Amino acid sequence: MAPEASTSTSHRSVEVLVSKLRRRQVVGSREAALETVKVLRQVVSRAKFSNIDQLVGLIRSIGKRLVDAQPKEHTVGNTVRKILHHIREEYNTATKGTATVGSSSRAVFSIANFVLQGQPRKHTVAQRSEVTTSIRENDPDDPDSFAKTLKPVLMEAIQDVLDELETVYDNVSKNAKDHIHSDEIILTIGHSKTVEAFLKSAAHYHSYTVIVAETSPSYSGHEMARNLSSAGISTFLVPDSSIYAIMSRVNKVILGAHAILANGGMFAITGSLLASSAARVHSVPIVVCAGQFKITPLWNLYHEFGALDFADPSSVLGFEEGVLVEREVEVLNPYYDYVSPEMVDVFITNDGDHPPSSIYRLIKETYDDEDHEL
Amino acid sequence: MSPPSLPVQPPNGPNPDSRPPLKAQKEMTKAERRELQEKQRAAKAAAKTAGTSQPNQKPATKQPPVPIGSTGAPKKGGRPADPAPPRTPMLPAGRQPRDAKLVSTLAETGPMNARGLRIFSHFGLPKPVSLAKGDIHPVILRLALQFSDFKITGANARCIATLTAFKTVIQDYITPPNTTLSRHLMTHLSPQISHLVAARPMSVTMGNAIRQLKLEISGSDIDLPEQDAKNALCQKIDNYVRDRIMVADQVIEETAGSKIKDGDIILTYARSSVVEKVLLGAHSEGRRFSVIVVDSRPMLEGKRLLSVLTEADIQCSYLLLPALGSVITEVSMVLVGAHSIHSNGSVYSRAGTALVAMLAKQHSVPVVVCCETYKFSEGVQLDSFTKNELAPLGDKFASFPLTKPREALMLVNGPNLEILNPLYDLTPPTSISAVVTEVGVIPPNSISSIPLALGRLL
Repeated sequence: MAPEASTSTSHRSVEVLVSKLRRRQVVGSREAALETVKVLRQVVSRAKFSNIDQLVGLIRSIGKRLVDAQPKEHTVGNTVRKILHHIREEYNTATKGTATVGSSSRAVFSIANFVLQGQPRKHTVAQRSEVTTSIRENDPDDPDSFAKTLKPVLMEAIQDVLDELETVYDNVSKNAKDHIHSDEIILTIGHSKTVEAFLKSAAHYHSYTVIVAETSPSYSGHEMARNLSSAGISTFLVPDSSIYAIMSRVNKVILGAHAILANGGMFAITGSLLASSAARVHSVPIVVCAGQFKITPLWNLYHEFGALDFADPSSVLGFEEGVLVEREVEVLNPYYDYVSPEMVDVFITNDGDHPPSSIYRLIKETYDDEDHEL
Repeated sequence: MSPPSLPVQPPNGPNPDSRPPLKAQKEMTKAERRELQEKQRAAKAAAKTAGTSQPNQKPATKQPPVPIGSTGAPKKGGRPADPAPPRTPMLPAGRQPRDAKLVSTLAETGPMNARGLRIFSHFGLPKPVSLAKGDIHPVILRLALQFSDFKITGANARCIATLTAFKTVIQDYITPPNTTLSRHLMTHLSPQISHLVAARPMSVTMGNAIRQLKLEISGSDIDLPEQDAKNALCQKIDNYVRDRIMVADQVIEETAGSKIKDGDIILTYARSSVVEKVLLGAHSEGRRFSVIVVDSRPMLEGKRLLSVLTEADIQCSYLLLPALGSVITEVSMVLVGAHSIHSNGSVYSRAGTALVAMLAKQHSVPVVVCCETYKFSEGVQLDSFTKNELAPLGDKFASFPLTKPREALMLVNGPNLEILNPLYDLTPPTSISAVVTEVGVIPPNSISSIPLALGRLL
């Protein structure tokens, strides 16, 4: 029920992003999140609405279209949820709580409410606008007044989200030097920019060694090894087959995540399950570095196939090797692994360090219940 | 960074016994001479500590023949008689490997970038096969080249190839006067063995076979005419191959094959000759099962197994090691081979086997190791570091997919970057459910009782 309040220009930008997502032209979860924020910022700045429900409905419908375009890219949905959460918060502050928005869930007696009641609000929203008392909704004489008074506040909130996304790497690496010490041997797999920033930041204070596993068939480990070694960190590049062999010498395993699930588990690049299992066997702590925008209100109880995303099988068994095989062979190239919460020791996010058992609380604080299903 | 070039040196490294030509010394300035002296002194010290001795190409030299390495790090459990392979010390990142100048430059770059981990230093890099002394039999030369190029791989294949080559050497051998075959033949064979070891470190199977051969040689009858003695030895070698390898494989094939039921999904890793025989045998018996072949760098041997299996019309899947977590829940049994097995039951096998066994155990999938008794190795290895081998750098096995541009890959060492490709790893006995040998199916902890059962015939 998108109101006709959306102008044709913002529609176009949404269409562009939808098609980019569908064609997987947006590479990387952070990129997807940034694009989403920019599009939503444009939408909100151009939107015409006379009450909050219209705006929320508009954003929800746009969010639904974006998520449907690429359901595997969870950060898109997370960003939409975060913006909705901020919008509702700003609105509540602006109206001093006289009007409650979408609060049907509050009436439900659920453990979610217990959690919320016990928590002091982490971010007290500063009073931004002075004209709080004069917000009138659904004013027939001046339909734009509501929107006009609220928009600056909303734009600032969205800008907050954008800033947070842009400073993810710096914030995650803030305490890197406390996590990594001198002469430690760190194992990592694949190429995660968050982990790379984390390791480079720690290298300013201590000298240590990193072992990077190649992570076939994408071989993203090579890129990681190149970046780390050119930053002056002494690096070893090993194939995935030797992860168990070297694990007895490794002090910590640091992984990146694609998405962090509500139960504290995560989707990560294939090979993460092997590395974390081997680390568990050798009692090596497992650290996951990810931005907070990756925390998803999703559960994965039944699928071992991670996000059920498969990549091109020709990197596993090339088409030129078809002569090798006489009859049909099934070639698998799953892109993600599901790592259960028992495997992970700590999530290091731009919001602080959290054990997997408190991810559900983060979700409660960052997103609103009614947005879990867009 | 390129190693600083040193003045005139023999191509195989600084020879402690020789001096650089005096002509060069006279031409150098005093400072240069002093510098050269320092370098040589450092080189000597480094050579002593590193304990390498380069294969020497000069025929008239006081040095002992082809490397009898005396490195500090222990190489293999319990085989002091055989020469240990020489090991170049693993240098800090940034050095070009397998260069004769390595030893001398080690001392210079030691303090700089010293954090290049020394825990991997005993792995050493594979060296190119040097020009041999004149005494090496051409069959051995050929075999050594095949080993160093990885044309013959696998514990069984290498052992059989070695023994076949030795048969030729023995037949061509002529006892010199004033000595007997039983005493001299072994001295004749030693440099051949060393040459093979220089090409690629000796496998446990080769070691066990050679030890058995030595026993036979020293026990051969002095009164026999030479040709008869040689024929007898060749016959013994044939018997060894037949009994300990061929027949053993057949028994294992039947025993392990009986564990495979219709509708099973068997998972195997890389390529084991025994597992290949088991799967083909079970299929020819009429059992209908499917196979998942898991493969990994650096050698990507699974492709060969895949082509053999598909030719036999067995339903196969193929995937790389990181994808293992996605399929392990559907697997009914894991079948792997071994390079060798230790007395505590830990299996020394292709790198990656430990990961497969660990994950299978976590998902309650039985892990069955197929291993002949001649692969038993005395002693206990605690982790994969005690003894291992590195594959040569670069794309030797053409194992990178063509879809990946070569510029995106790191194929050579760089500053601060070192590439390691260990070929083996150690699977602890806790991850293994059973070991199938030709004397039966045994739990991994009972391995040490087998030699007793065989009458100490290791």
